[in-house]
Amino acid sequence: MNLWRLEWFRLLRTRSWIALAAVFLFFGLLGPISARYMEQILQRFAGDVSVVLPPPTPATGLEQYLGNVMQIGLLVVLAVAAGALAFDQPVERAAFYRSRVSRVWTLLAPRYVVVTLATVAAFVLGTLGAWYETVVLLGELPVGAMLLGMLLTSLYLAFAVAVTAAASSFARAPLAIVPLAAGVLIAVPLLGLIGALRDWLPSVLLGSLVGLVVGVPPVEYLRPALVTLVAAAVLLWLAASRLQRREL
Amino acid sequence: MTLPAPAAGDAPPLVTTRGLGKDYAGVVALADVDLVVPRGSVYGVVGPNGAGKTTLLSILVGLKQQTSGTLEVAVERARIALVPDTPSFEPWLTAREVVALARSLVGLAPSAEAVDATLRRTGLADAADRASGGFSRGMLQRLGLAAAMAGEPTLLVLDEPAAALDPAGRRDVLDLVSDLRGGTTILFSSHILTDVQQVCDTIGILRDGRLLFQGPTRDLLAGKAAPAFTVRLRPPLDDVIGALEAAPWVHLVERAGLERLRVTVASTDAAETELVRTLADAGARVVGIAPAEVDLEHVFLELTG
Repeated sequence: MNLWRLEWFRLLRTRSWIALAAVFLFFGLLGPISARYMEQILQRFAGDVSVVLPPPTPATGLEQYLGNVMQIGLLVVLAVAAGALAFDQPVERAAFYRSRVSRVWTLLAPRYVVVTLATVAAFVLGTLGAWYETVVLLGELPVGAMLLGMLLTSLYLAFAVAVTAAASSFARAPLAIVPLAAGVLIAVPLLGLIGALRDWLPSVLLGSLVGLVVGVPPVEYLRPALVTLVAAAVLLWLAASRLQRREL
Repeated sequence: MTLPAPAAGDAPPLVTTRGLGKDYAGVVALADVDLVVPRGSVYGVVGPNGAGKTTLLSILVGLKQQTSGTLEVAVERARIALVPDTPSFEPWLTAREVVALARSLVGLAPSAEAVDATLRRTGLADAADRASGGFSRGMLQRLGLAAAMAGEPTLLVLDEPAAALDPAGRRDVLDLVSDLRGGTTILFSSHILTDVQQVCDTIGILRDGRLLFQGPTRDLLAGKAAPAFTVRLRPPLDDVIGALEAAPWVHLVERAGLERLRVTVASTDAAETELVRTLADAGARVVGIAPAEVDLEHVFLELTG
């Protein structure tokens, strides 16, 4: 038993992995179907009004999937991450770890890495489901663009978990950490209102999967990818240094 | 009043603090504490609720930072183990996994033999594969001790380790502490003074964040308690109590049972010359008189009252 195995057990025994996999897979399977039949669905509720939508494309299927999963799915990610990263609560449990480990990074690293890997695995699972259904219902998707888009979106998810880690150094209870992290993730795209920042923000990566599929050049995502990478590292450093100083 | 605690032999103390202080936004939790914990001792930190015991222990194990003074702990962090008053573990870990993890956290191999031996020693062998989330408070306390002992600590810090236990559980914990004496230095906070008196060879008394006394238990009991006598006599006792309370050399008269009084006196000389006469004048039917056994509770109340 060590801290890495502990985090693996946390994922398995608290059933967090089921929550992550279920939400991503659910929306992965639902997105392309809803895109394919959106016109019929809306028509059922529209009464005598005729609903006409542009014919759905493979990108529309992915858009539906990401639109849902990056809201509800991301909240589940934040909740799972906060559960693992709120290691100063309860205090008596924190004392067990903190009194034996001198560097807080020793505790933080496995929690961050395991939650991030589980999140990325759930996202890949959901995306593969969406990919399969899109191909069946709406048409082919470019493999290279899909793989690169999955990589870039995974980078954003790693950033989101890093935001949660930093939030855990400002709040102690998961119920406080989740809204704090969600607030930051909601605020980041608002920085795009400042024109000069628009193309640099981590939130740009949320659109990378669809963007690459419809032909946006990969180079467009280089800047936000670098910013996301650096921001995640800075957030983890911030979390570790604040938690190191925090008293129980 | 703070007295230096004598070191066990010539070995330097394991823990030394000088002028240690801690305050929370202006509220003083500890002030000017000069603690000396002799190597190999069982050191009892006693004090009323809010005296600063937990704050002091938290600083010693690195969970809090002092706001003034210095702290020297002559042992690396991994060789210090803390058992909080209500130990808590991931509820989905079994007792065996908690102990193995505790060993791993301090860099020891989580060998199955060592883990099993620790679980046996703390009476948890039968619950080794049960999740700790289903443990009673007493079992969690044992698991806390197991996790601490698993790390083979040089300094074991126990914060109110027996507070939540039934008498049998308390006895077990005190026996464990006694077993560890010599090999491990133990810092033991408690408000159960009989426990402290039983297992601690050195005592520090805290009140309002200040160390009022520090030294060997026997010195405290011998030097700090006012002399007292136990008087055993036939009832009724009321007239006798009245007569004793009227005597100028008597500090305090306490009922210590149906036929027993504890009489605290100003001086042994006065009691030896006056006690029998006063009892006779009051018409007491005396069964026996003996010097009262000094206990920590009385000393503590005198120092902190």
